[in-house]
Amino acid sequence: MATYFLRRLLLIIPTFLGSTILVFTILQLAPGGPLERTIQQLQSGGMGEMAVEGGGGSGSITGGSILPESAMKELKRFYGFDKPIWQRYLAWLGVWPRGIKHRDFSFDSEEYQIEKRVGKRSGQIWRVDIHRDGEDFTVYEKDGTISEVWEAKLEEKNEDGSIDGVIFQTEFSGVLTGNLGKSYTFAKPVTEIMKPRFRISLFFGLIGYFLTYAICIPLGIRKALNHGSPFDFISSVIIFIAYSIPGWALGGVFLVLLGGGSFWDIFPLGGFHAPTEIWEQMTLWEKIVNQAHHAVLPIISWFITSFATLTVLMKNSLLENLSQDYIRTAFAKGIAEKRVVWVHAFRNSIIPIASGIGHIIAIVITGSYLIERVFNIDGFGRMGFQAILDRDYPVTMGFLVIVVLIRLLGNIISDFALATVDPRIRFK
Amino acid sequence: MAENQQNLNNEISVSIYKKRWMKFKSMKRGYYSFIIIVSLYLLSFFFPVLINSKAIVVSYNNELYFPAVLDIIPGVSSYYPGERFGQNIPGEADYRKLNKAWQEENSDNWLLMPLYQSDPYEDITSENNKMYESPSANHWLGTDNTGRDVFARLCYAFNISISFALLLTVINYIIGISIGGAMGYFGGKFDLILQRIIEVWANLPMLFVIIILSSILRPSFTLLVAIYTLINWIFLTYYMRAEFYREKAKDYVAASISMGQSNRTIIFRHILPNSLVPVITYFPFSIVAGIAALVSLDFLGFGLPPPTPSWGQMLEIGLQDINKWWMVFSPITAQFMTLLLIVFVGEAIREAFDPKVYSRLR
Repeated sequence: MATYFLRRLLLIIPTFLGSTILVFTILQLAPGGPLERTIQQLQSGGMGEMAVEGGGGSGSITGGSILPESAMKELKRFYGFDKPIWQRYLAWLGVWPRGIKHRDFSFDSEEYQIEKRVGKRSGQIWRVDIHRDGEDFTVYEKDGTISEVWEAKLEEKNEDGSIDGVIFQTEFSGVLTGNLGKSYTFAKPVTEIMKPRFRISLFFGLIGYFLTYAICIPLGIRKALNHGSPFDFISSVIIFIAYSIPGWALGGVFLVLLGGGSFWDIFPLGGFHAPTEIWEQMTLWEKIVNQAHHAVLPIISWFITSFATLTVLMKNSLLENLSQDYIRTAFAKGIAEKRVVWVHAFRNSIIPIASGIGHIIAIVITGSYLIERVFNIDGFGRMGFQAILDRDYPVTMGFLVIVVLIRLLGNIISDFALATVDPRIRFK
Repeated sequence: MAENQQNLNNEISVSIYKKRWMKFKSMKRGYYSFIIIVSLYLLSFFFPVLINSKAIVVSYNNELYFPAVLDIIPGVSSYYPGERFGQNIPGEADYRKLNKAWQEENSDNWLLMPLYQSDPYEDITSENNKMYESPSANHWLGTDNTGRDVFARLCYAFNISISFALLLTVINYIIGISIGGAMGYFGGKFDLILQRIIEVWANLPMLFVIIILSSILRPSFTLLVAIYTLINWIFLTYYMRAEFYREKAKDYVAASISMGQSNRTIIFRHILPNSLVPVITYFPFSIVAGIAALVSLDFLGFGLPPPTPSWGQMLEIGLQDINKWWMVFSPITAQFMTLLLIVFVGEAIREAFDPKVYSRLR
């Protein structure tokens, strides 16, 4: 069995690559990407300025683009659009060198060696020499050795014989090295943006997850044991309702009814907790109360659907087992009902529940954009959603990485739980 | 009990599907839900003559016009300028005013208005509509942010939602059954490769992918169905693959192979009818999922293009200002009732197809 799960873990790799390649390609090929968006913003900004200056018509608009060539080049480089898509993906993954710290230089037609300031090293200005041999470049440090960090390459040959080049460092840095890149909108590392939001989603997710199981299993058992009773009927009605209304829509009903609109004012309208200024002045106890107060409605909405399915599953599963022959035999042997139900029937009927464990973990994280949006919670799902709207590709991809990994692991956890509770199952 | 036995003996020659239909019929809740939802859906195609600001019949100078009836037929224009009926207004005729005027004049011209005299697109640009009116006799469920009648939009959205979900499910079924069936039937490398592809697909967060696609391509009804199909056909392949895998090992398949029948005949004529059970029982739940998905997408603004009437879009407006409770309750109640009816039907179908009878000893 260990080999089976090892194989499953290894199979995560191709699936993960497949998923990310697919979404990466869609994003990169999509029209209206970050590059086009920035160009548009810069252009409209530029137009505005010119209007203020009194329309001092310089000829630069005539080409259709008012961005200078060099700025275009820089933008393309910043967003990585200067490379083919497969290189962008591999660089994102961290197995292809990524060029960083680009600096332009140019040679006149008869020039073969120039000195270039490339930044600072240990407090001193760092200069390197670039030698040109036709169209190839070699970068030398001041002590005459070939530079280990700097590379140079040809950018463009001009008509007058001069040559433009670019000097840059390379590094391997991507998902595999734990670097998800920098967000375009927040200008911060993606991991830094994801962490607090992930924590928020996890808070709701875990509490709801445990509550769901803590309620559904006893409820399902009780319904099965009292099949056909008024209790069963009433709880079934509630379950049908819960199943027929999406959680986020129920959240909307809650807000209108209990959020202080035209009806009652019992719960806050949204947010993870009170606004930061108030939150920071609260005592610990007040914080706990406030947090719980804000969490009630989102948690109910979050888990209403899995609550309904899980309860029905538990009930049907136990009911089915209770009608089996081995239960009849156990009763015939004169075993007490309690023992028959709890030892014989229950252990068998928990099997389908166990297999859902991993899938629900995935729901914890992924099923939440809508609810986070309704309750105005700045959580993980909402971050992913907003990133798509803003064309913030590093965050979008970061979100995807986390979600896909959690789903894949969730599946394996499910199978593992299944194998644990059901000794008949042997994975090979 | 004895009588039951008698009945069963009489029905022994009845086909299995007929038996299941009888069992389904005997489950009152599911059966009546089925009748209600199907008749409501059929009725919803005639909403243009029931809920419309246009007249059903206009008799003007002894000529008959049927503007609202023309609305039922897609692609036919029902536009009549006001001048056609001697009304001195620019643009389309205002049938409600026309009605009042003719009645006051006691003129020979007459017209017949629908029961509910608002349509889902009429906004504040028409004279008597205001923004955010609360429910009244004129507007049973109030008006929305642009003064459109909520009740009318609600009803039209019902038709669109169900049509969307039905179309989606049927297309998904055709693709899912064909691919899943082929995987189970042919097996081997074909199966292995497709399984890997499906695993990649299935592990993507679907709403996320749909939002990416819809934010790139401005969706129309057809495009939205296409995007959704692209993603949803997978779930059916699991069932179909397993069913075909199992059925293929049976003797009747071996017999038809040895008779030299083509793969297509074996798949569609022989195996498919024997492996339809999970597919049929899943059908209503697939429609539930389709409707819920459309509402979510419309809510997020990535669904059908405005001004298409939609529950999700109404909810979005409603939740922006929770004092406008009718904007929230109306679509949620409509959606909830629809889904509940379909879930009831689904439960009954599932039970009708389930040969097991739960019996407890104690």
